[in-house]
Amino acid sequence: MPWAETIVDTLKKWDTSLIAYVPDISIDRVTSIIDADPFFHLVSCTREEEAVGVAVGSYAVGRNAAVFMQSSGFGNSINGIASLCLPSRTPIPIFMNLRGQVGEFNIAQVAMGRNTKPILDLFGIAHYTIESEDRMDTLLDGVMKLCHAHRNPVAICMTPMLHGGKIA
Amino acid sequence: MLRFDATQLVLRHAGDSPIVGNLGPTSDELYHAGHRDRNFYTYGNMGLCSSIALGMALSTDDKVISLDGDGSLLMNLGTIATIGREMPENLVVLVWDNEMWGQTGGQSSHTATGTNLEDVAKSCGISKTTTVDDLETLEEAFGRAMNEPGPWFIVAKIEEAAEYMPVAPVEPEFTLYRFRNTYIE
Ligand SMILES: Cc1ncc(C[n+]2csc(CCOP(=O)(O)OP(=O)(O)O)c2C)c(N)n1
Ligand SMILES: [Mg+2]
Repeated sequence: MPWAETIVDTLKKWDTSLIAYVPDISIDRVTSIIDADPFFHLVSCTREEEAVGVAVGSYAVGRNAAVFMQSSGFGNSINGIASLCLPSRTPIPIFMNLRGQVGEFNIAQVAMGRNTKPILDLFGIAHYTIESEDRMDTLLDGVMKLCHAHRNPVAICMTPMLHGGKIA
Repeated sequence: MLRFDATQLVLRHAGDSPIVGNLGPTSDELYHAGHRDRNFYTYGNMGLCSSIALGMALSTDDKVISLDGDGSLLMNLGTIATIGREMPENLVVLVWDNEMWGQTGGQSSHTATGTNLEDVAKSCGISKTTTVDDLETLEEAFGRAMNEPGPWFIVAKIEEAAEYMPVAPVEPEFTLYRFRNTYIE
């Protein structure tokens, strides 16, 4: 199954229907499917930290939520994750296009992109990098299970090796 | 109008509605005015109070009340635009506007120097807005907000009491767990 559809299927399987996001050209393949599917409510946010707040609010009233962003937006959302998701223990999956990888053309994206996983490690946030569609459904299902069992955010980092590398 | 008196007023009209409290004294006073399972106290995430309330409002039919602060909302003005885009009828944003970053030393905020948060909300497409500066007008506005479709955006000009109340003895993991259980049980 194509990677974008696998993500959508996994979100449905885990009854995760509120998606808060800031656009990214690569993950647009997923968010445009989500936008067209009445199962989901896609919330366009102005900033990724705001998306984290919206997702936590949704989870707090019993509806599972996820956020989509690019790694630069992870930089914008760190305090929301660190001071809200971690202390209150909210299982929010963070789907992100990991910039600064092979094929990156924009120097401004390199530092944040390449430091995203080390920062996640500093916070003890589990992260998984997906570079191929091979067994992706099994991996994602397991990531969601971990996320809810641990009641903590997890990051799903997608690189151009997975999504074809159209970078902007 | 003291924030504590205004908070008591809000609780009298809130029924079972979720209330999200801005970090610091707003959450502390919410606790002392009336601790309840549907109080969502925050102790960090400056700026996200109304974003959390927005996420709630999009995922429950209950009226959801955000008790935000001027300084905090100034950090995340974009969320007013998102509220204007989503237009949740069941969201009531109440801004405790003391025109300062009170708890960090009382430095005057941008609402003291000309920023009008009600006008910001209007220009984001939110039409149910008002600014109030005493308990009587707050009661009238908040009563309407609880009974008429919104989203509502109420700026309440408040004063600080001489002393802060004790920090509420709550912690975030338990707050979320207790709050969420009222929805999933
Ligand atoms: C991201 C971030 N920046 C700065 C602070 C320090 N800080 C804590 S509360 C606060 C002011 C909040 O102002 P307001 O929302 O108006 O609430 P008030 O103190 O007036 O009740 C600041 C600047 C913080 N906690 N987090
Ligand atoms: Mg203030």
